[in-house]
Amino acid sequence: MKHFISRRDFLKVAGAVGAAGALAACGGSSSSSTAASTSASSSAASGAAGGNVSISLWTYPIGSWGGTESKLDDIIAAFNAVHPEITVTYETLDYQNGDNLVTSAITAKETPDLIMEGPERLVSNWGANNLMVDLSDLWAGTEEDIAAVSASVVSACQLDGAYYEYPLCMTTHCMAINYEVFEQAGALQYLDQDTRTWTTDDFVAAMETIRDSGLTAVPGILYCGGQGGDQGTRALVNNLYSGTYTNPEHTEYTVNSPENVQALELLKSMVDNQSLNANAGFQASDELQQFANGTAAVTFCWNASNKAQYASQVTFTPYAMAFPSDDGVPELCGGIWGFGIFDSGDAARIEAAKTFIKFVCDDENQAAESVRLTGFFPVRESLGDVYEGTDQAENMGEFASLMPYLGDYYNVAPNWTEQRQNWFNMLQQIMVNNTPAQEAADAFVEASNP
Amino acid sequence: MAQTQKANKAHSSRVLARRETISAYLFMLPSLLFFVGFVLVPMGMCLVYSFLDMGIDTSAATFTGLNNYIEMVKDPTFIRSLWNTILIVVVSVPVVTAFSLWVGSAIYPMRSKMRSFFRCVFYLPVVTGSVAVTVVWKWMFNPYNGLLNQIFGTTGFDWLGDTRTAIWCIIMILFTTSIGQPIVLYVAALGNVDKSLEEAAAIDGATRLQIFWKIKWAQIMPTTLYVLVITTINSFQCFALIQLLTRGGPLGTTSTLMYYIFDMAYNYQRFGYANAMGVVLAIFIAIFSAIQFKVAQSDNG
Repeated sequence: MKHFISRRDFLKVAGAVGAAGALAACGGSSSSSTAASTSASSSAASGAAGGNVSISLWTYPIGSWGGTESKLDDIIAAFNAVHPEITVTYETLDYQNGDNLVTSAITAKETPDLIMEGPERLVSNWGANNLMVDLSDLWAGTEEDIAAVSASVVSACQLDGAYYEYPLCMTTHCMAINYEVFEQAGALQYLDQDTRTWTTDDFVAAMETIRDSGLTAVPGILYCGGQGGDQGTRALVNNLYSGTYTNPEHTEYTVNSPENVQALELLKSMVDNQSLNANAGFQASDELQQFANGTAAVTFCWNASNKAQYASQVTFTPYAMAFPSDDGVPELCGGIWGFGIFDSGDAARIEAAKTFIKFVCDDENQAAESVRLTGFFPVRESLGDVYEGTDQAENMGEFASLMPYLGDYYNVAPNWTEQRQNWFNMLQQIMVNNTPAQEAADAFVEASNP
Repeated sequence: MAQTQKANKAHSSRVLARRETISAYLFMLPSLLFFVGFVLVPMGMCLVYSFLDMGIDTSAATFTGLNNYIEMVKDPTFIRSLWNTILIVVVSVPVVTAFSLWVGSAIYPMRSKMRSFFRCVFYLPVVTGSVAVTVVWKWMFNPYNGLLNQIFGTTGFDWLGDTRTAIWCIIMILFTTSIGQPIVLYVAALGNVDKSLEEAAAIDGATRLQIFWKIKWAQIMPTTLYVLVITTINSFQCFALIQLLTRGGPLGTTSTLMYYIFDMAYNYQRFGYANAMGVVLAIFIAIFSAIQFKVAQSDNG
């Protein structure tokens, strides 16, 4: 016997399917955001029942905290040994798409509880947009410890009296040379190897020497194809004639100052005489690849993390150097990484997230290991030299010697995200379109300042 | 009695028709739910957002009326992106269509195995991920050790970083990734052409060109229309290549509407403005598609 579905049955089914769809679409963030993530907690099965709390963590590729060789499972296991009541799920982001994913999550109100990155995102972007939790209570008792290493770190993590980042580690971004190429070309004479510094004149002479030697396809690549690794080109421009990127209050950009314009003109002249190559299709990752395969003799985007990443590819000695400066005293861009908490409005999850942060940053058995996994340096004086006695000691010593050159941390200036676009567009204008440096820098400042 | 039977019959047919209608709706329901949830609702939201000044803090959004649309007209980067998009559409759509038809015509008479081989070869870029395709092209365009500079002896020339060549590089890559599907469709369409008409025309003394133009072309017109519409939409929505290769540079010469929408939304966090551009893009695609339908219908007689 044929059985036809009655209209009432149809409406029932339709209602059920519709309701299921609506529920799926509006589901909680903790479940939907972990589709591509890994749960590392032994108590994962218990979920949020019985007083347990489940929180999510997103990390950018900061050493072994992210990337393909993430050690997050180990960190979370150590945390759960002390706090089995808190389940932590995580997702690792990359710098290519990470910002887009976070922005999408924000607009969809599906943000993770915790996120690991630097003040330029946690403070100046998400914090300034009232999306983050004030972490002042975490700072109580540790502010002095952190200020003893760098007052810049303390000021970078706050905005209008509220702390939106609880920092874990820091480093200075530097550049590197192909030591063997410099040696063969006779360009080592231009470096002060004791201090790893060089003057602007020495830099120009060295690059011309490399060019004339023909040992590499290009002496160096001034990449301006995107924002990736822009800390390198910013530091290069600022150091050549001791310019600054912002005013001391970090309220306005000063890229059009006479010092910066002079630096931009110098770089343009180097591009014109082929002691430097400008590439409007390259970001830092592309330039690093050319450095690693020996096409370029220098890279403007170097730090301990990049050294580790390209270690298996290089067949020469990548030698870390400070950026060249007219007075021989460089001011390097800093990198600060730590944690922020998105304001979910759920007090239990926020408290659990703070517990996790406190454990990984301040626990006497965990904090040093947490820093070592980043491949950078601690922001707390009390942790001392976390690499002493480890197999990383020699490698990190190279970068530790550059830490005294840490300059002003200006990445908290307003419109930070927008100005990054304007920066590489300005470089393209000067290097590719032959726009006068002053004109392009003025346009940058006009577009970037609030 | 007869009237009662007639009334019963009419009632039964109405019930049957109603049941069939309900069954049809039931079959449509899953796709309808997805269409409403993932197409109609987002389209409506896009339209609403286009009238807002909305940043990353969506709760602070304010109504700005037509301001986003007015700004668009005055925005030189938008105008440039629009022209770049139109250039890509105007160049790639006819070239892809004509080339696909030519290759399809050349492949169709071949023996079965050869035909399958060539279909696979041309379809390969379609099934290969856009990231993998771009990585290979990026290597070929590399100014320092890329294949193109080795072939042309132009070592150091920056294909993707030069304002004169960047957009043409994008169009070329788009071409290679766009021809696979039309070729397969044309080969299938040519197989459905009525052979008896071709034979009759040949007996009547028609030339090969006349047979193609008067018989084959007319019969494969629905396929051509489909290819035109799909290629136009794909060209308008060209994004991944640009995001992965040039990020709209150098100096905005490869920025398309889709990329500029993304740039405004995710890099500048101006969601209202990006949505307004999305509305304009949808209107452009609709206009172009309508023109193609109209032209194709008139061609069909």
